[in-house]
Amino acid sequence: MYLKTLHLQQFRNYQEQWVDFLAPKTILVGNNAQGKSNLLEAVELLATLRSHRSTRDRDLVREGELMSKVSATLERQTGITDLSLTLRRNGRRTVALNSENIRRQMDFLGILNAVQFSSLDLDLVRGGPDQRRTWLDTLLIQLEPVYAHILQQYNQVLRQRNALLKKIQSSDEQSSEELTVWNEQLVSAGIRVIRRRSRAIALLAPVAANWHESISGSTEVLQVKYAPNVVTADEHLDELQQAFIEKISSRAIAEQHQGTTLVGPHRDEVELTINQTPARAYGSQGQQRTLVLALKLAELKLIEEVVGESPLLLLDDVLAELDLHRQNQLLDAIQDRFQTLITTTHLGSFDAQWLKASQILHVQAGEIASG
Amino acid sequence: MALHILKRPETEIQALAQALIDAKQQVGLCSVCFHLSAEPVCEICRNTNRDDHTICVVSDSRDVIALEKTREYHGKYHVLGGVISPMDGIGPEQLTIQSLVRRVSQQKPKEIILAISPSVEGETTTLYLGQLLKPFTRVTRIAFGLPVGGDLEYADEVTLARALEGRRELD
Repeated sequence: MYLKTLHLQQFRNYQEQWVDFLAPKTILVGNNAQGKSNLLEAVELLATLRSHRSTRDRDLVREGELMSKVSATLERQTGITDLSLTLRRNGRRTVALNSENIRRQMDFLGILNAVQFSSLDLDLVRGGPDQRRTWLDTLLIQLEPVYAHILQQYNQVLRQRNALLKKIQSSDEQSSEELTVWNEQLVSAGIRVIRRRSRAIALLAPVAANWHESISGSTEVLQVKYAPNVVTADEHLDELQQAFIEKISSRAIAEQHQGTTLVGPHRDEVELTINQTPARAYGSQGQQRTLVLALKLAELKLIEEVVGESPLLLLDDVLAELDLHRQNQLLDAIQDRFQTLITTTHLGSFDAQWLKASQILHVQAGEIASG
Repeated sequence: MALHILKRPETEIQALAQALIDAKQQVGLCSVCFHLSAEPVCEICRNTNRDDHTICVVSDSRDVIALEKTREYHGKYHVLGGVISPMDGIGPEQLTIQSLVRRVSQQKPKEIILAISPSVEGETTTLYLGQLLKPFTRVTRIAFGLPVGGDLEYADEVTLARALEGRRELD
């Protein structure tokens, strides 16, 4: 797929900006805090309806404005699509395809696919389990847009069940019949999440291991393993259901005491190990970078395989941080297949040949000029 | 609507205003089914031509009106007044569930049809009522699936999955 144009209106620090993408690689160069990452964020939003930098729409609307709009023209094998996302300071966002409003956001997802790689991604290794869950969920939303709905349903059950547990905790009443029903809901919604996560990791793990082997020179073995909160010997639906219910009842007293749900995929983990040692404890910063790079390349390949077209790659200030060997590995893998948007503060660290084949845009104070 | 009203003769507007005030003052809830009613017992509950052996449980009076429009259903109703939602402080006690159980144990209907939206909260309410009422009588729920005139190929995965769950024997 190829992103032909992007149009930002009152988005972050942009007033109104048109961008035409003229080459498979576009380098956005400029000092810090000029709006380079904001542009990448706009593309990320169109792909996933999520931003890894902000969870509130009001942060995305330019200061002093009430509304913001991000639109793009995307070329896919099936044809050309116009996407647009309207964000409001106070109010719900709306999405449109080919100027027609789409009622369900789920139908908007999966049109544009993108893999984002920023310096924040090192938190995949260093951060807590929630970082890895968010990463996995964002990937899944692109692989199977219906997952956005599945996850939302699970989170809704979780919030409702937590509210009930709080109520039980504060009033000492026994509303066990109602809780039983919420347990059933947690299990059926939770199982949908668990099975999809498990399937995605099963696909991703070997690809990531391969990349890691080739980048690190086959001295280290990367293992990506899904470690669900509800564990079963086999993946069979009945087994999983049984195990889930048993775990809920084994933690019932603790849950009522703490007033919160302790069992379910909101407590899942994705384990990253190198040579059987947790990557967090194992790696130097360089090794951790290799690991994240391998994960990102695996995402890229997996989306390409599942969707049937190559997704966009958004490299936010990371290329300069990689050493030459890793840079070359990355550039080799991308070639011209993946449209790539790159942000950087200086062009010095780029290969000359590479620069020649790229479109270079200068970003300054929310304005973009080609150079 | 405001512009349209302004163009009408004053007498008509007065009649409308009176009707609105009357509605506000007189319309309450039916003591049997909790549907909106100007009388203590609503028209549907009083109608002897309607099937007494079937009770259709809905969350809101709006749903009764929607179902009545179909003219396909000839039984009685029960309006819950909402769905179970702990976040909003709504548990079974806040709904008309107790009255429903009393009604079911006294009237002994042959079938209870649960017609509640398949949201997370609606689904939970359906499951809760199912467990509660099954000891008394046959409990069914309405099917969810493809819209009439909808093409299978354009249906989304969630709708298709629901339609599969609710499949039935070809008769």
